[in-house]
Order: sequence, then structure tokens, then C-alpha cells
Amino acid sequence: MRRQKKPCPITEAGIRYVDYKDDRLLARFITDYGKILPSRLSGVDARHQRQLSKAVKKARFLALLPYVKGQTG
Amino acid sequence: MAKLKIRRNPTRQYEAVYIIDSAIEDAAILEKLEKLQSLLNLATPAEIEHWGRRQLAYKIGRHDTGYYAIARFETAPAVLPEFERALKLDEGIIRYLISLAEHELGAPKLSDDELASRRRAGDDDDDDED
Repeated sequence: MRRQKKPCPITEAGIRYVDYKDDRLLARFITDYGKILPSRLSGVDARHQRQLSKAVKKARFLALLPYVKGQTG
Repeated sequence: MAKLKIRRNPTRQYEAVYIIDSAIEDAAILEKLEKLQSLLNLATPAEIEHWGRRQLAYKIGRHDTGYYAIARFETAPAVLPEFERALKLDEGIIRYLISLAEHELGAPKLSDDELASRRRAGDDDDDDED
């Protein structure tokens, strides 16, 4: 039996283009270690997942998100 | 051979995020931002959004915190290399990122009606988790 597809949380929030400055939104789509969450777990659609991965990388560069979380120093 | 498409409007929309040394005083930061924008020779002044001092997600050199400012402006791409050179030379700027801002980011502003209906549906809205 196929599992029902999750609705895309980003589309549901009415977001057209993911903002790299919105660290609170992006933080929902990274793992505890700071890796980008795969869309099969988050249910994000492909278009938004592409935007998301770019946005997370920009946010990391700007020190809005960590490259590696839970690391000291 | 296909002809190269020539843009009628040679300028593009950019968004720059600056992370400025938080040890610098507010007045000096404002002055610095002013000076930076003047390097661009903008037709219309840049729209600047101040986030203020903020904890960095990781240390950059010796810095734990930075003053975040975001500038939106429209300029010809050709002036950017010179502008970036000035940014790199500025010791007060910890980091910067200039990116094209030709998409509307985030969610569009909701009309009052939409907000009201959103509020009514608020029970099954899982957006405001913390």
C-alpha cells in the first residue's frame, strides 16, 4: 500500500520563493547536526527543495545558520 | 547563429547583506553604510533594512556577534567588482553577500480578508510551533 504524499509545508505556508534570510523557517528544514533535511522526510516539493538548499547555503555563509551544529568552539 | 539577446534595461535588482563589526558604534555604522552606497552611484537610494546586532551562528575570526544590515538597490552589474573590492578592503565589514533579488522572497503580503480566514483556520495551522 502506498503512503499518502505529505503536503509541501512551504507551499502551504504560501511561500513563492524561499528567503535565505528567514533563518527561523530554514531551521525547520535542517537536522540536529545542521544538515539539510531530505525532502522525502520533510515533504517539501522539488521546486521548493531546490530553493531551500540554495537558501540554507547562503544562510550558512552569513552565519545565520551553523555549518555544523552541536560543535563546541 | 542566434543573436545575443540584448537587455533593454542594463540594470538589475540586487540585495546585499553586510555583517559589520559590532564593536563599531551605531553612528559610525550608519556613516559607513552611507559611504558604501555612495560608491554605487545609485539613481534611487538603496533601501536599507537594519537587523542590528545579532549573535553569529559560528565564530568568524574573533567575532561572535555582528551588526546585520541589508541593502536593496538597482545597478548595472559592471559596477559590482569595484564595489566588492571596496567591501573586501574594509576592515569593519566581517562578511558580505550580494545576490540578485529578482524574485519576491518569502510569502506575499496577505490581504485583510486572507488574514482573517487564516486566523479562523488557525486551529489546524502548525506554523507557529516553537
